[in-house]
Amino acid sequence: MNDFDLVRKNLFRRKLRAVLMIVSILIAFMIFGVLAGFYRAFTAGEDAAAADRMITVNKINFTQPMPIAYFTRVRAVEGVRQVTFANWFGGYYQDPKNFIMALAIEPNTYFDVYRSEFEVPPDQLQAFTRDRGSAVVGESLAQKWGWKIGDRIPLNSNIFSQKSGGHTWDLTIAGIVKGKADHVDTNFLLFQYPYFDETRSFGKDTIGWMILQTTSPENNDRVAKAIDAMFANSTAETSTDTEKAFGKAFAAQFGNIALIVLLVAGAAFVTILMIVGNTMALSIRERTREIGVLKTLGFSGPRILGMVLGESVLLALLGGIPGLAVAALIAMALRTSLANIAPAFAVSPTIILQGLVLMIALGLITGIIPALNAMRLRIATALGRG
Amino acid sequence: MRSLWLQVAAVTAINLKSIAQRRWLSLSTVIAIALVVIVLLAFLAMANGFQRTIAGSGADDIAIVLRAGSQAEINSTVSRDQVRLIEDGPGIARGSDGKPMISPELYLVVDGIKRTTKTKANLPLRGIGEQGSALRKDITITSGRMFSRGSNEVVVGKALQRQFEGFDLGSTVSFGATRWTVVGVFDAGGSVFESEIWADLNVVQSLFNRNNIVQTVRARLTGPAALNELKSYSDNDPRLKLDVKSEAAYFAEQASQTSDLIQKLGWPLAIAMALGAVAGALNTMYSSVAARATEIATLRAIGFGGFPAFVGTLAESLLLAVIGGLLGAAATYLIFDGVTASTLGGNFTQVVFDFKLSPWLIAEGVVLALIVGLIGGLFPALRAARLPIVEGLYAN
Repeated sequence: MNDFDLVRKNLFRRKLRAVLMIVSILIAFMIFGVLAGFYRAFTAGEDAAAADRMITVNKINFTQPMPIAYFTRVRAVEGVRQVTFANWFGGYYQDPKNFIMALAIEPNTYFDVYRSEFEVPPDQLQAFTRDRGSAVVGESLAQKWGWKIGDRIPLNSNIFSQKSGGHTWDLTIAGIVKGKADHVDTNFLLFQYPYFDETRSFGKDTIGWMILQTTSPENNDRVAKAIDAMFANSTAETSTDTEKAFGKAFAAQFGNIALIVLLVAGAAFVTILMIVGNTMALSIRERTREIGVLKTLGFSGPRILGMVLGESVLLALLGGIPGLAVAALIAMALRTSLANIAPAFAVSPTIILQGLVLMIALGLITGIIPALNAMRLRIATALGRG
Repeated sequence: MRSLWLQVAAVTAINLKSIAQRRWLSLSTVIAIALVVIVLLAFLAMANGFQRTIAGSGADDIAIVLRAGSQAEINSTVSRDQVRLIEDGPGIARGSDGKPMISPELYLVVDGIKRTTKTKANLPLRGIGEQGSALRKDITITSGRMFSRGSNEVVVGKALQRQFEGFDLGSTVSFGATRWTVVGVFDAGGSVFESEIWADLNVVQSLFNRNNIVQTVRARLTGPAALNELKSYSDNDPRLKLDVKSEAAYFAEQASQTSDLIQKLGWPLAIAMALGAVAGALNTMYSSVAARATEIATLRAIGFGGFPAFVGTLAESLLLAVIGGLLGAAATYLIFDGVTASTLGGNFTQVVFDFKLSPWLIAEGVVLALIVGLIGGLFPALRAARLPIVEGLYAN
């Protein structure tokens, strides 16, 4: 029998107690896994942001439009590799409750700027740019409604109306957009801006925002300054920022999600730490006599310390690993229903690694005081007790 | 029968008195339950505060008119011709001067800087008609004055001024190329309007190039019942085709989504944590039974029944749970009640609201704690009741 066997046997001496400990730890790490997955999903846009991509919006706020004339002027700025633009459509399908993230885009440049995220087969892209009344849809949106290439779908807007009076645009699906990585959200519909602009009843010749790519991230600052200076003191001043900064500022508007995650995970952890720590202390106290015997047999203090710590770390791992597994299952199950708000919801390898570190830390923290007590225990005291 | 209850009382008293011997384990259970209750109540107080701020903003006798299908003010557009048709519509109250009491409004999003995080946030700038402030309940200017019509002046809501930088009385704010002077601060009785900036409709229209377009029309009705008249008038006129709702109904819709989301996040988390706390409570109570095994067995040997041992153990667990629940509720009240937060609301703009606990929510928290105590105490209590006397006497 080696030390590990002793550790294992000690841990399961009281089976029920061990199982309860494992369940509490399992729940703590399940909460950790789910919350960390959520947090990752909310900040995924930020991490995925390309370093050389920038966003130009109206300085008043990004919901305010700017003249389409800005597009060609920005394209001429030195250090800009490519520019495209988009306009929010406020789309829905059949019923206002079926919200669809729909954008009217500049068809020739959009997929060039986003080429590291999206993939459209060349023939489909060609069909899209050729037909003014066509649209491309993201894979997950197409799946949701069962749309196929060639389908004609009525897209409603809760903002815009047609010159003819209606709120519905009929579009033909020309292509399906695939995401190039697993965190890329494909829950959207894109259609041609020229068609949108000539049919809408108001707001003509204005666009929502421009996305530009610089020749290199080092040029970002200079390009941003040049663009904003160009439109200073005009009726629509602009604000240009990196995609990352823009995404971060937008996410911050929902309130401090990071803080909530920290608070809840922290509360759960303190709870579990206390319960586990107390129980460990209790079970070591119960074994005082035995530890005395082990010492009499010649077990050194440090070896006893290691065994007690080993017991608490083993306990943390036995609860924590299945906890993370359950979290991963929950993430998988919720993924489709949360596709709109948190597209990249998953328990990633980084989260698993963080979880493992936390488990070991939890084991060490809960075990350290009983372990030190056990190590320092004098044989005479131990044998005399109980 | 009477002796049974005396037994129960005696054993319960012994149990409760002996908590002190297991003070650290008991304390950890109390704190664990308190933490569960804090997490639940913090979420519920957040949802409740948000709900109250928005739902409390609407009146039954004010109609709000939006473009059909637009759902929120920000998406809506109403043309000048439509505004005129509504003015002449049925059910709309008229002032002493005979003019209809309506306010066409333009709702724009501008940037502000949040004081705490120094990050940009979407703030609503509302251009209101002449009757704008009269059509909302409890609007009072707390400092400064109302903006004068036709000028670049704004008044700001109290909550907005508190949460965002640069809206001090007399200061100038610029939205893009337009500059505005803050001339007043208003109190709106804690409603969502306190998160808004108000200016004169015509000035906003011209400075933001939105001539001839408004987004919503607010109208005072002759009474709540007049809403249906106005609705059918709009439905039957092909030039209108607008959504007519009471302001109260509009805000109730706006509030439900976000507060639902908060609650849907809060309950599962609290329940998952409660499961962890149940494990802790079970542990504490099993230890309690183990520690008192000799005692219980002795009582049984001298004629006490199993039932008093069961009740005594369960009572101990429930007492710890109640203490934990109340402690959690008190801590939530001290830490979170009245804390001001802001998030994106239905109109894509910041809504400033306060966390608000209510007696009903506290009751929910304590009930959750009691459930934890009940489950955590039940099985150990059964064990106590069934403990074989001989084994118990030889324990330890």
